Amino acid sequence: MVSRVELKPKVAIFDFTDCEGCEVAIVSLREKLLELAGETEIVNWRLAQKRADDGPYDIVLIEGTPVTQHEIDTLKFLRGQTKFLIGLGSCATLGGIPGIIDREARTFWYKKIYGEKYKPRGIDALPLTAYVKVDYLIHGCPVEKKEVLRVMAELLAGKVPQGRGYSVCFECKQAGNPCRLLEKKICLGPITQGGCGAICISGGSPCYGCFGIKEGAQIDNLLTTLYKFSDSQDVERYFSMFLKKTPEYARLFSKSKKNAKP
Amino acid sequence: MQNHNFIAQIEGHGALDVNWDKNKAVLEVHEGERLFEGMVVGRPVEELYWITPRICGVCPVAHNLAAIKAVENALSLKPSLSAVLLRKLLMDAQMIQSHVLHLYFLALPDYLGLDSGLEVIKTHPIYFNQALELKRVSDLIADTIGGRGIHPTSTAAGGFHKVPSPETLKKLKKETKKILEAAESTVHLFSSLNYPEIKANPTLFSQVNRKTYEVYDIKYITSNKKLKEKSADFEKVIKEEIKPYSTAKFGYHKGKGMMVGSLARLNLQGNFLKGKAREFFKEASLNFQNPYHNNLAQAIETYHFVQEANEILDELIENGVDRETIQLPKEYKPTKASRGIGAVEAPRGGLYYEIEVDTKGLITECNIITPTVQNLSSMEESAQAVLDQTDSQAREKRMELLEMLVRAYDPCITCSVH
Repeated sequence: MVSRVELKPKVAIFDFTDCEGCEVAIVSLREKLLELAGETEIVNWRLAQKRADDGPYDIVLIEGTPVTQHEIDTLKFLRGQTKFLIGLGSCATLGGIPGIIDREARTFWYKKIYGEKYKPRGIDALPLTAYVKVDYLIHGCPVEKKEVLRVMAELLAGKVPQGRGYSVCFECKQAGNPCRLLEKKICLGPITQGGCGAICISGGSPCYGCFGIKEGAQIDNLLTTLYKFSDSQDVERYFSMFLKKTPEYARLFSKSKKNAKP
Repeated sequence: MQNHNFIAQIEGHGALDVNWDKNKAVLEVHEGERLFEGMVVGRPVEELYWITPRICGVCPVAHNLAAIKAVENALSLKPSLSAVLLRKLLMDAQMIQSHVLHLYFLALPDYLGLDSGLEVIKTHPIYFNQALELKRVSDLIADTIGGRGIHPTSTAAGGFHKVPSPETLKKLKKETKKILEAAESTVHLFSSLNYPEIKANPTLFSQVNRKTYEVYDIKYITSNKKLKEKSADFEKVIKEEIKPYSTAKFGYHKGKGMMVGSLARLNLQGNFLKGKAREFFKEASLNFQNPYHNNLAQAIETYHFVQEANEILDELIENGVDRETIQLPKEYKPTKASRGIGAVEAPRGGLYYEIEVDTKGLITECNIITPTVQNLSSMEESAQAVLDQTDSQAREKRMELLEMLVRAYDPCITCSVH
């Protein structure tokens, strides 16, 4: 019998400024996390183990937004240390909730929250893609456990994962939810990538688009519909929840440009 | 970096920086600031409890419910009896999730001399399986009642968007009953460990209602030094200080450190425990001067919250969920500009929200004090006590003791820098 030594792919999980909810979601995979840990070698994961090997790695998952200079430098360094760099959760993939605060507004809030003498560390809450090339974005606030498993399975099989080709609407219909747009409630589901199972709408909350804007989404058509029953400030507020640091937000709502409202 | 310093990495982006020459410990926090208290200003109140759970993925339910209570307080909304019960059940799940994650995945490896929580499966499969079972069922309760455990979707000011069906509650009860045994073994396991003997004598603070062992429906802040203030007056009790070496503020009471969380709760309301939880508490004879006993306190609390979850599910199944629970207000707007305060006992201790809302329903001011902000001050003082009381011991031993001390406090750095 020929014995063969198979090298398991080296996986590292890092986190920048964030809530750690996506890492907690990974821990909640329980038995499936153990399977994943068996198929790979988790060589660095601050939250869960003391082992913290230096690179190179095969797959690096990064949660959180690089808001401090130290985090930005670490991100650039890690890019050179890994074959695949994967964004984990909306803070990493979109700028997410921390992205609600603009760079310019930070000065005011630092003074108000920390006082005049405080020397802030944070610069701006931006997605990983603002600094480096990222191979795949696992969106979500938090990430959907099934999506994490799908992406990891594809990476381990040597494939580069692709996004879902459909919007949240598809899964929302499957879940049997009444359409929010028909009830004259703002919804970003039609332009948002699927994969979440429409979990927020199923629970009774709005969809703020944490899975990111789907490729080829008809944003302008959605806006036309939304402006029929809601004012532009409310629509902008919905877009600002997770998408404020996206190019689409800048195009639609940037103050220097004309408001998109027809 | 100077080599006479030792830095114990702690959960989140923080470190205990020890200067051996001066025998002095400083707690540095360098997590980036997200500025949540600024983020919510100008936004409608109903987005408060959507946004602020994202302060912390380990205790999002506690943030969600404290924020909801603040909004209800500002808008004079009163949740139904069933809504309160469902929220208490959600808090039980939150407590079990958080305690189990910390006890088994972070603290236990220290005591067993292992590298990670995942290794426990090889060395102690029974412990590992009971941890998984507690995690599975507490996640199930949080997902079922909250719509999603990590960042709830079904909760709302005034009640709930959606509530579980009687059949779902019955299924949930069946599962929840199963984990009483695992919770009991958890108490035995953590009673059998050898905790370092350090007399740090921290001042303990817990919110209480003085009727039941309570974490949701609390009224007063009390301490083991005879303090009693209304929870709504939390700003009188806790003074936040800015440190040049930390992006987290440090909370002090009259210039002294504050210890909050399981050990403090058991000290200040342990005599309200019932049933087996009460027996375990009596048998454990906790040393309230020793912060390392916080891990044992978390184990006893885990049993209490499993027991309470079972009782609440029985009550909900028996009486049904009242219809008012899902009758939410059409608009969240006060008749005049209002102030609202919401407080709960989160897994790591007192969590306080204060907001101001204008007549359009928009938030104009927000202040949040998290448990770890309070614990940071006491943690630094206890680290100093460890240094002072272990002078004769080897440096490696002292380093290990400091790392375990930080673990015992179970700091949540992401909460502390919000």
